[in-house]
Amino acid sequence: MLVVAIEKERTFEKVAIVSFLTILFILSALLMLVSCLALLLTKNIMHACTFLLAALLGVAGLYLTLHADTLAVTQVLVYVGGVVILMLFAVVLTGGQDQESITKEKFPHLAPLFGSKSTFLKAFLVSMIFFVAAASLLRLGEKEIVHVVAVNYAPTIQSLGQLLMTDYLFAFELVSVLLLGALIGAALIARPMKK
Amino acid sequence: MTDNMPQFFQELFHLETSDCLTFLFYFIGAFILVNIASVIGGLATYAERKISADMQLRIGPNRVGPYGLLQFLADGAKMLMKENIMPLMADRFLFNIAPMLCLVGIFATLAVLPISGNLTLAHLDVGVFYVVAISSLVGLGIFLGGYASNSKWSLLGGMRGASQIISYEIPVVISILSIVLLSGGTSFKTIVHHQGGLPHEWFVLHNPFTFIAFIVYFIGSLAEANRAPFDLPEAESELVSGYHTEYTGMKFAFFALAEYVEVFVLCGVGATLFLGGFNVPFGLDTFLSKTPFPLLAEVVQLGAFFTKTFALYYLVIVIRWTLPRLRVDQLMSLCWKYLTPIALFNLIGTAIWMVYFHDQSIVEIIKAAGSHAGGGH
Repeated sequence: MLVVAIEKERTFEKVAIVSFLTILFILSALLMLVSCLALLLTKNIMHACTFLLAALLGVAGLYLTLHADTLAVTQVLVYVGGVVILMLFAVVLTGGQDQESITKEKFPHLAPLFGSKSTFLKAFLVSMIFFVAAASLLRLGEKEIVHVVAVNYAPTIQSLGQLLMTDYLFAFELVSVLLLGALIGAALIARPMKK
Repeated sequence: MTDNMPQFFQELFHLETSDCLTFLFYFIGAFILVNIASVIGGLATYAERKISADMQLRIGPNRVGPYGLLQFLADGAKMLMKENIMPLMADRFLFNIAPMLCLVGIFATLAVLPISGNLTLAHLDVGVFYVVAISSLVGLGIFLGGYASNSKWSLLGGMRGASQIISYEIPVVISILSIVLLSGGTSFKTIVHHQGGLPHEWFVLHNPFTFIAFIVYFIGSLAEANRAPFDLPEAESELVSGYHTEYTGMKFAFFALAEYVEVFVLCGVGATLFLGGFNVPFGLDTFLSKTPFPLLAEVVQLGAFFTKTFALYYLVIVIRWTLPRLRVDQLMSLCWKYLTPIALFNLIGTAIWMVYFHDQSIVEIIKAAGSHAGGGH
């Protein structure tokens, strides 16, 4: 009886949520792709930071479509609230953009970081191979993934907290020690020099 | 049991739930909330002018509408008709999106603001976390606005604003964490249901540590909303008007509205976390929800929430017109040398209190001790 009720609820939820989820997925994916493209094509570093912000928000939206609410909010908190603002700060404090150092050429010949035609070709081949491999791997687990998404529509923060405090306690403590080290290092660097 | 505003109205009017209709209901709910928040922000400017006038023995706005109540509409109409001026070397793109980032960040927080049991748009399980995260868009908007204006005053104001907001987020979040610890959940619903209608059941009077946490939260939220005595980003005497010096017309109005609505949201979050939220004394709302008029229960809860929020808002305005502005170094030392350590010790203190006194509030302990002394009668 109970099982039937739960099944009924699940199918209802699936029907009701499916189109909304699809819309959300398409919107976030579009936001991410378009802003990533804009980020690559713009020559203004402040604009690039802003597009990066939009791309990160799009990633948060993708997390939401996977029902990872905690992860999505953490993404917004860490990247939008912290990392992007700090990047903007760094850009402004180090003199902002230097117009002369920006190349005018679309495909510079021997720029070491940008690459040439042969590196583009190699990169394209490698990425195609990776894409095929990843797609075939994903297809293997496709049924399972869809199943999990349909069933586990539950808030994640509680189970995340429990796992962090039980199974993954060591990793959690290691990360906290790392962060403490970073904090102490920052304080050491910012401290006024002794004479 | 309904959960949020769209579901509540669907049940109230006996409507069929279909996907499209749910979407529409969410849209209407969001539309109503944003408009109410905008009107509150507008009225807050009126309240600010009236209260400051009171404190300085002036009269304040009294021409437009009864008691000058419609002054904010007149201001809005004026803003709409102003010419849109942009500095010559300004960054067009960033200059245009900065005010919107501020406004979007603030209006997005309204989605989880628990104004009453059923009229909240969404009961997220990460509600508190969500408010903290999404409102950081405001700091970004302020910084970008300051940078894009291509003016020294604006740039200084924007950098002050962003650094101030990042810094004060830490004591604020840590003092919120002590409440999350006590209630055992990051959802506003859980937090409200762990409190009661009467003051001794509120988290602010639960134990000494939460009382201090409330004060830290309040000071930090003043700084996060760039309100005096922390209005360094727009310090009139030094920076003309800070990050929005170069903004005119509706873009300036966006910044101003974002600031006033942010104060409302922060006061609402403070009232929810520490002052019992929409809980009504003596279980009046549960009684009313069983009568044929369940909407009355919502009205009573709305009354409780808005009374507490506006009381805090009044306090914010009075503080603005009472205290002088801090210096930048004083601002930073207040945050890092005083508020952050206090908030950290508070968090540990709350945890120790929970273990030692088994989650009891101070009033419950006194009651238990009294009944124990009286021989258990």
